[in-house]
Amino acid sequence: MTAAGYCYVFGMGMQKAMAYRADFFLSIVSCIFPIIMQVYLWTALYAAGAADTNGYTYEQMILYTLLAGVTSRIVATGFENDVARDIKDGGLNKYLVKPMNYGAYCFAQFAGGKAAAAGFLLAAAAAVLGGAALTLGVPFAPVRLALYALSLVLALVLNFAIFFTIALLGFWLTEISQLFGTISIVIMVVSGGVFPLDIFGPAAAAAAAVLPFGYTTQFCVNIVSGRLAMDEIWPGFAAQLLWTAVFTAAHTALWRRGAKRYTAVGG
Amino acid sequence: MEIITVKDLTKTFPYSVKEKGLKGSLHNLFARQTLQKTAVSGVSFAVEQGEAVGLLGPNGAGKTTTLKMLAGILYPTSGTVTVAGYVPWERRRDYQRRFAIVMGQKTQLWPDLPALDTFELNRRIYQIDEDPYRRTLDELTGLLDVRSLLQVQVRRLSLGERMKMELIAALLHRPEILYLDEPTIGLDILSQRSIREFLHYYNQQTKTTILLTSHYTTDIEAICPRSVIINHGNVVFDGPLAEVSEVFGHKKLVSIKARRDLTAGELAQFGAVRQLERSTALLEVERDGLERCLQRLFGAVPVVDLDVKDIPIEEGIAYFYRKAGVDAQ
Repeated sequence: MTAAGYCYVFGMGMQKAMAYRADFFLSIVSCIFPIIMQVYLWTALYAAGAADTNGYTYEQMILYTLLAGVTSRIVATGFENDVARDIKDGGLNKYLVKPMNYGAYCFAQFAGGKAAAAGFLLAAAAAVLGGAALTLGVPFAPVRLALYALSLVLALVLNFAIFFTIALLGFWLTEISQLFGTISIVIMVVSGGVFPLDIFGPAAAAAAAVLPFGYTTQFCVNIVSGRLAMDEIWPGFAAQLLWTAVFTAAHTALWRRGAKRYTAVGG
Repeated sequence: MEIITVKDLTKTFPYSVKEKGLKGSLHNLFARQTLQKTAVSGVSFAVEQGEAVGLLGPNGAGKTTTLKMLAGILYPTSGTVTVAGYVPWERRRDYQRRFAIVMGQKTQLWPDLPALDTFELNRRIYQIDEDPYRRTLDELTGLLDVRSLLQVQVRRLSLGERMKMELIAALLHRPEILYLDEPTIGLDILSQRSIREFLHYYNQQTKTTILLTSHYTTDIEAICPRSVIINHGNVVFDGPLAEVSEVFGHKKLVSIKARRDLTAGELAQFGAVRQLERSTALLEVERDGLERCLQRLFGAVPVVDLDVKDIPIEEGIAYFYRKAGVDAQ
């Protein structure tokens, strides 16, 4: 299939995401509730003087919570369950017999689904940034906003590569949904999607800098919040690209081996 | 010209067994016993270009597994297959453009979107130019009478309509080889007939090679001049389906209705009593002695109605299913 073909899949992914209006809008607004809970939690902790956050002020922490909530929602996956179901129930058959790349097809569909919600999610991010600029007096340089947008695109690709790799374990593990549940929660935390990892000190910050997960959320937030200096941003982009390449190589190898093990269950 | 060549094709799958109950489940959780199941065992056959061949066999016989290996979905455990010069499981793009597979119990259509979107997607996957795509789509939707349904969400279509859309999606790129795995399963009689007639017409018109599996002998009779019966992974019959019933060619079925109730004892002298219910009976008699048998029957029983038939083709097939089972054991 040509690039134009994958663009068409992208469009179908958008259409599919918008096919059911209630589900579409609920999927977008559902990110608000955990953010509200965290804001209340941090407010209570700071009010009680119980928050040991390694240098984060209350305003910085609330800004981080809001931005991380929206950012993690933007880069969140969900396709992994579809991939695992395809492998388990034989739905993969229809892709294996066509002149196309299954991974690229999944990515185009995933990106299309994201694009459908992107307008609303980016509006939410803009509202958070605008509100922060007004109430906290935090200035957001246009160049940082542009770099934030770029980091989001790369984070989306990296997160896809991570979860597609995990999903392909379905070739070896018949029932994988519990693994997804566990891994998703762990990755949500270690990506900085709940709280900044550097509140746990330099060791945690160093680990976050080395591991791939922080580059899907915390890195993006730190660009726009100004926590990263400009000269620290470019190595971050390099790390995003490097980890994407690593996971792409990993899922390519898993696909080659897995497709030979595939049992195509069911008529 | 031979387009499909299958030699000694074998496929085994690992599977686990579990004893009944909670104890078995707990044991299975920590120490799983894995066994090997042979789904296809040394199957060999060849198909000529343009031929329509039916693959018959009971559930679990290995028909679908064979089709999946021919389509490159599964890797075989051993044996060789070439289709149009390609080894299917190498999944060469050129080969994938030359065949299509339709599975009655699987869908390639996007359920939340109209079928037309999947057709447009397939146009791009198979890189079909706009003009031939339009012509083919127009022809196929006309033949299958689904033109008015192209913009209806797939999940809102009936099973018969969905299967017609599946066929269109599979044929848009004009494949030379079409694999069909139970394409009429679960369909009503009218839909079955419509799809049967379409496939027969399409095979005749385009000389597309068809390999079809179905539990409905009517499908096979209507579409495939030749049948291959597989059971326990082995080919047990290869030839025209009509020849299947020749194993019972020396016998006839005689159904009678009498003016009074009949007994098995009085009918036994004419042949094997297959069914008996009050005044109606079904007898299996030797073809060579049929004339004399009927004369005696008319003399002994007050017959109101009588019919002589061949043994149904399904019984011939069932004979081969059972025979293969016995041989395999």
